[in-house]
Amino acid sequence: MKTYLNRLIGFVLLIGCGFSCSSDLDFDQANDLKLKPTYIGNFSYFNVPATAFVGDDGSQLDLAFDDQEFDVFRDEYLSDYLQRADFYFEINNTINRAFTLTIVLMTENDEALTTIQFVVPAYTGTSNTITRTEVFENARLDLLKSARKMGFLIAIAPGPALNKNSTGNLILRSNATAYLEIQ
Amino acid sequence: MRKVLLILGLFLGVNCFSQNKQILYNLTSVPQSLMTNPGADFKYKYYFGVPLLSGMSFKVGTTGFSAYDLFANDGVDFNQKLRNVVYSTTRRDHVAVNEQIEIFNGGIKLGDWLENKGYLSFGLYQEFDLWSYMPKDLAILALDGNQNYIGKTFNLSDLNVKAEMVSVLHVGYHKNVSEKFIVGGRAKVYFSSFNATSTNNSGSIITRPSNTTMYEQEINSDMRLNTSGISKYIADDYDGDVATDVRKQLLLGGDLGLGFDLGFTYYPKKNTQITASILDVGFIRHTKDVENFTYRGYYKYEGINPNFTDNNNPDGVYSDFKEAVKLDTLYNKYTTWRPVKLNASYQYSYGTPSDDDCVCITADKRYKNAVGAQLFVMSTPRMPITALTGFYQIFLTNSKSKQLTRWIPILTRM
Repeated sequence: MKTYLNRLIGFVLLIGCGFSCSSDLDFDQANDLKLKPTYIGNFSYFNVPATAFVGDDGSQLDLAFDDQEFDVFRDEYLSDYLQRADFYFEINNTINRAFTLTIVLMTENDEALTTIQFVVPAYTGTSNTITRTEVFENARLDLLKSARKMGFLIAIAPGPALNKNSTGNLILRSNATAYLEIQ
Repeated sequence: MRKVLLILGLFLGVNCFSQNKQILYNLTSVPQSLMTNPGADFKYKYYFGVPLLSGMSFKVGTTGFSAYDLFANDGVDFNQKLRNVVYSTTRRDHVAVNEQIEIFNGGIKLGDWLENKGYLSFGLYQEFDLWSYMPKDLAILALDGNQNYIGKTFNLSDLNVKAEMVSVLHVGYHKNVSEKFIVGGRAKVYFSSFNATSTNNSGSIITRPSNTTMYEQEINSDMRLNTSGISKYIADDYDGDVATDVRKQLLLGGDLGLGFDLGFTYYPKKNTQITASILDVGFIRHTKDVENFTYRGYYKYEGINPNFTDNNNPDGVYSDFKEAVKLDTLYNKYTTWRPVKLNASYQYSYGTPSDDDCVCITADKRYKNAVGAQLFVMSTPRMPITALTGFYQIFLTNSKSKQLTRWIPILTRM
């Protein structure tokens, strides 16, 4: 009796571990792989004190300009995968003068492709931050992809002249959100 | 009835084996068990495997997810399933693929049947191994980007992968030192036809809020991929047939390595058995067709920032980045270690067959039942993996030539 009991226990255990199941799998699904990551990063930043608009001789400079290489789209993969780009700008002015900030995306040969312009009011003692999001899709995205330089032009609006004792700063903070699709 | 049970048992037994190759350990009724313990209690006069047929195994193992989670034909978008898998696993989960084909395998007892001069075994097998930990952080970065992960450090060491194809020529010796103690060893020569190893990566990518620029963004990378035997396949101008070329360099070609296996079986009492083996303690020196790809450097990205008081325009951020974090190709020889496997078992036997069941002579008396535990440990690029298996063993027939043994895993932990 004990022998048969042993056998019974053995077989019950065997059957227990012997069960397995098969499933309906489709490995071709791997061909449907499509990555759609969204990356966020710095776009541009400057912090210009009021005195930066004053020349060595103490006179006001009405314009400030600089251009920078904009070579991220030399990376052909990024250029291919990018579906949309959003640029978020945050400008804080604590100088008691109004400004116009113009950001120009340009070709290698300095030809303007698209322009982003901000009218920044003068500081009057209260919070003076303006924000805006620029969206680049479709045709405008193509212009962005062909840009190789970025120009920054700050023009001071008419008003009392700045001098070496003027206070405050014009600060730009911005980020870029890139929507990619990789297939 | 007994035949029906035997057939059922055989079917179920094969089912069990197909799910866990290490169960071959100490199953001395199968000659291949000598490969898992060169000191197994082995009593054959000789054996030869059928070339290419008698030993063939293919195993794909994953932890944290299953093939069903990813490839179920259930109408759910594959990308969603991939995302679910990535988020439900940890960096400790892994995928392991192992394929082994015995080219030839044999063994012969030295001296006459009654002499105790030991046992010589030899053979050649081909093995493919792939091991990859879940590159969790990199997968999140590729799937979703960093937008929703401000402040998170993406760990580049999550990329930990290796793949290799080797042929192994081996000669082993096995001897019964006494009735209670059996030892064995095996020398191995490895021929590595290709290898790709990227297991010592470090670095991070982080985006966190900043008081000046919008974010503080840094990449710190020290990554390396060592390869041997694959440069021609990844070259831009390669136009050969991969299958044909791989076959050419499959056997006895490529880089050389050396290693050994050791094992023993010990009976402190007649019904108590202790065994242990250590396998693949060895290395391969990669010297032929070697390429090392490194991705090293540090870059802090602050954006495209104008400077209205200095007209010196620096290079663009893309050029700066490529200069700071460089992708280089080197040609340095390197050494890889084989994954070391450790097996150990303890078995307690009981239940002497009664005359009703057994027609065997006293000296040949076997215990009808046995219980025990088996430990398996294998080294990996990070922490070793372990499996503890409890088993119950029963002899279903009593004829020595047709003895049928079944091992039943009761508990396995990895």
